[in-house]
Amino acid sequence: MVQTVISVAGASADCPEWVLIDLQGSLETRHPVPLSGRFVGDLHFTQKDVPILIIGHHILYGKTVHLEKPFAVLVKKERSADTSMETDQNVSGTSYHVKALIRRKLLFKTRPKPIISNVPKKL
Amino acid sequence: MSWRESQMPINMEEEDSDIPVQSRPMETVNAILEYAKLERSELKPLVQNIFFSPELDNDHMTLMELDSHMLDVILEGNELVIRGDKDEMAVLCTNEKTYEVKEAEISNDLLITPEVLIGKDLDSEGDPCQTFSQVLSVLHTYYELRECKPRIHKLKSLLEENHYSGRESERDEKHQGRKFQFEDFLEIVQASETEIRAGLRQLQACQIEGFWRLLDFDYLCQVLNHIIQLCEENDWLEAGIPLAECLLPLEELFPRSVIEHTLECYSRTRQEVMQSFEGSERYNLDEDKICRFFAELTLKNSDKFNYKEFLNVWQQCVPDGMTTSLYQIEGMCLIDKIGGIEVIWYYPVEELPEEVADRFEALFKTREKWTREEIIPYIKDLATDKTDVGALLTKYARASMSNGIKMFNSRKTTR
Repeated sequence: MVQTVISVAGASADCPEWVLIDLQGSLETRHPVPLSGRFVGDLHFTQKDVPILIIGHHILYGKTVHLEKPFAVLVKKERSADTSMETDQNVSGTSYHVKALIRRKLLFKTRPKPIISNVPKKL
Repeated sequence: MSWRESQMPINMEEEDSDIPVQSRPMETVNAILEYAKLERSELKPLVQNIFFSPELDNDHMTLMELDSHMLDVILEGNELVIRGDKDEMAVLCTNEKTYEVKEAEISNDLLITPEVLIGKDLDSEGDPCQTFSQVLSVLHTYYELRECKPRIHKLKSLLEENHYSGRESERDEKHQGRKFQFEDFLEIVQASETEIRAGLRQLQACQIEGFWRLLDFDYLCQVLNHIIQLCEENDWLEAGIPLAECLLPLEELFPRSVIEHTLECYSRTRQEVMQSFEGSERYNLDEDKICRFFAELTLKNSDKFNYKEFLNVWQQCVPDGMTTSLYQIEGMCLIDKIGGIEVIWYYPVEELPEEVADRFEALFKTREKWTREEIIPYIKDLATDKTDVGALLTKYARASMSNGIKMFNSRKTTR
């Protein structure tokens, strides 16, 4: 049987807390280019703490949600070939590490509103 | 970058994709706000410019949903282990519990953004300012965990490969099957450490020379009979068995670990012993366990037994001073009426299937209708915190009234 270990950082009490952005829909570019390094959008918060995300010509209003069941962010580690020689065969080559916990997310589930700009000037 | 909802493709803004990494002039931010008719004063001063990381990686990051037990385990810094062969459903084990792991797919984009701050943590006043936040991964799946019963049935079949029948027999042909150490079980059995230990205890496995073994039934009989004989000679049934004095004569015959194990298995629990003897190593044989053992001895190798005769034989077997009673043998045998004569026969729950549906099928094959009292000993080990015995019966059996008594039979119409 394969045993895959999920290890937890030493000082896990200080496990960092990350935030998740949950978009009902998906982000894409018109041309199939890699997303790496590209700009997504501006995230604002109103004085009443409502998150506003502006992506391209669209404005999305969201809300901050406390997750009833938090998430652990796991990072997969593949063991390199030379070290795996020494290890137990039954322990799989991959292991996971708990990198962070996520207890809150910004949920954008409403239909995005287009920004109507009859402005000739380019942004 | 553009936004797409399933039925609503939207034109993208070409310019944005040309913007180099982590540069977003404040003028642009403000201009967009203006077009969006958003007032600066209504917003908190900090704008977070979100970029995909240059090392955007969707393959090495995973989300796993946690319940409160799992969260505690992680916060305590303890390891978790995923166990399973390729052909098995993977389970995730903490030290104590076992979970089924399922991958949930979602159409939403989940953006992992470590640096993003939420509104509550932002200042309400101050000059407009900006930060850059990276999206490390975009995910469309996460792992869902559901606490499940440990898949412990393998333990029994593994242990049955090689019963222990005494030192002398270890070399003979019948005892060359596999033997297992605790670490071996972790590799083979889909359950947590605590659950495997509990399983070993329940099966009455004994650690002999480093290996976990089941005692052969006849061999166990010998050990127990010697112990009981000593008890009767020394009047230890009432007073308790002093360990050292008991070991002295028996250690010539049986390994010490076997004697101690047998005492553990057939005595009242340690806590009760402690209370009555303030920590001295004394064992008190448990009447119910001993009586159950002798019932098993009587019934195990015989076919149907005349019930009245059995009651007599059974009472005569047990040590003087112990009283047999029917509740001691529940889940071990059934009583039927054949041609006006009541018979009892060996039907141990341990030998029935572990899967709930299979268990009910086996039970209804054996007997068409059961009363609640009759069936409970045969299903109570399947109950969980969420599904109690009543819920199991509702789901897997059909109730009907027969002569004013509620009876349960199979839900399947064709049998």
